[in-house]
Amino acid sequence: MTASPAATQHKAFSPARIAAIASNTFLELVRLKVFYFLLLFALISILISFFASSLKIHEQFQVLKDVSLGGMSVFTWLLAVLATAMLLPKDIEDRTLYTILAKPVPRFEYLLGKFFGILSLLFVAISLMSVFFVAILYFRESVALSEAVATTPPNELAGELAAIRAHAFNSNLVPGIALIYLKSALCAAFTLLISTFASSSIFTTIVSFIVYIIGHVQPVARAAYLDAANPSPLLKDFLALVAIMIPDLNALTMVDDIVVGNAVPLALFIKIFLLGSTYVCVYFGIGFLIFWGKEL
Amino acid sequence: MSTPAISIQNLTKVYPIPFKKEKVTAVKDLSLTVEPGQVYGLLGPNGSGKSTTMKIVLGLVSPTSGRTEIFGRDSDTVESREDVGFLPENPYFYKYLTGEETLHFYGKLCGLSRSKIRERSKELLKLVGLENAADRRLGGYSKGMLQRIGLAQAMIQEPRLLVLDEPTAGVDPAGSREIRDLILDFKHRGITVLLCSHLLEQVQEICDRVGILDHGVLIREGKLTDLISIESQTEIILENAPPALLAEIRSLVARSSAQVIEERKPQKTLERYFLDVTSPKKP
Repeated sequence: MTASPAATQHKAFSPARIAAIASNTFLELVRLKVFYFLLLFALISILISFFASSLKIHEQFQVLKDVSLGGMSVFTWLLAVLATAMLLPKDIEDRTLYTILAKPVPRFEYLLGKFFGILSLLFVAISLMSVFFVAILYFRESVALSEAVATTPPNELAGELAAIRAHAFNSNLVPGIALIYLKSALCAAFTLLISTFASSSIFTTIVSFIVYIIGHVQPVARAAYLDAANPSPLLKDFLALVAIMIPDLNALTMVDDIVVGNAVPLALFIKIFLLGSTYVCVYFGIGFLIFWGKEL
Repeated sequence: MSTPAISIQNLTKVYPIPFKKEKVTAVKDLSLTVEPGQVYGLLGPNGSGKSTTMKIVLGLVSPTSGRTEIFGRDSDTVESREDVGFLPENPYFYKYLTGEETLHFYGKLCGLSRSKIRERSKELLKLVGLENAADRRLGGYSKGMLQRIGLAQAMIQEPRLLVLDEPTAGVDPAGSREIRDLILDFKHRGITVLLCSHLLEQVQEICDRVGILDHGVLIREGKLTDLISIESQTEIILENAPPALLAEIRSLVARSSAQVIEERKPQKTLERYFLDVTSPKKP
């Protein structure tokens, strides 16, 4: 081993480097026991399934879907914010960021690797929650079908079984779950943006929480204000700016529509998905520009 | 003439203070050159600008003015880091990775092939004496072991330059000596080392040149032996000298224009004494 010029040819962009950072980030987050969230989700779903059994069949499924999809939305959001908020501050505090960026790793690749690590974690989390949700739905459907066979008169049985199947699992849930994932990715991208300039993970978490609330209430607030007589032009512009900066998170997930069994039209799904993905890219892009000029 | 390992030209770094008009000058018009193969000690009290200089050399901080180069490549470029290994002060790394996994991770970041990573990891774990701890998670490593795995990760892509910030901070004397020996080993392999340390005795033992920073200004710079030798004095160390010889030397000195400043038994360092009494006895 003697000192000679570097043997490797530097690549301006390397998917292998990004993959190394992403897989390490995923491992780091899993090691932080973030999957305890999933246990809580499982517990809530089982309890709801148990307590809803006294309701009518279609109400049972509606409550179960409502709580489970709502739970998925809240838990993936919490996971996205809490996990993302600590990543950069922890790497800076432990000085691992210095050892990584002192290697031939562009800052863009570092940030992208971190973001992909979070997206992988969210994907695994929502997949596990979906599997659990579908399993409970299937179990409740089997129980309801058995009860219907035992209690329904033969001439009404076919109609009753069809009604139960229609209220249980249907393919409308898949785009709904995809949109919940997109919302969590958007919240992760925004949290990452804040953490590129914030001095602490607590500040990042608080700002992300506030933005989440704004994202949910701003359409209502805007509508109420614009309906009022003589709205101020300045406030109108401000509301428009907020609407541009923070998307309507209610519209993004459409959970309410999906729960009551409404199908999401493909064109609308694609439109929402593209809009959400654009926000993810813009948030990440702004985050990168801040991180690029950051003094470490 | 070979390309310098590090070239710093008229470097200035000014940090603005948030919400105030004043600014802090961390480094002021610094120029220095580190030649390939040298061990260069950057010294200075806390807040003297050592860390800022190091971070600018590594491209972690942008200079306000001036230029730094690593083997002729601008420090601002990512490519310049192909030739650098860095060990920060008190590094923690990822606690859930084993020693071997840590080296694999950093090897991937440097774009090494899998076979090269395996080969280098094995070689470096042996070099830093962590072969038996390769499968242990870093969470269970001692301070000295963390510093040694830190040195190994810094060396993974066979860089020509090592930048070490307080490499022995918080390490016990035996561990400190092991790290010092490793740095000397790197030096013998022709690797250039930029070392920041408060342990002046250690710097004196291993550095060829030193630069002393104070309030961001380079106040002294040069070959270590030139800087610290007292030109007007001479030291002669004798072994088993009989009293008659010593008396003759004293009388010779008395007859000349020279004078004896001090006459004493040479002493071993406290570190050497500590290592002698604490190291395991050979049977």
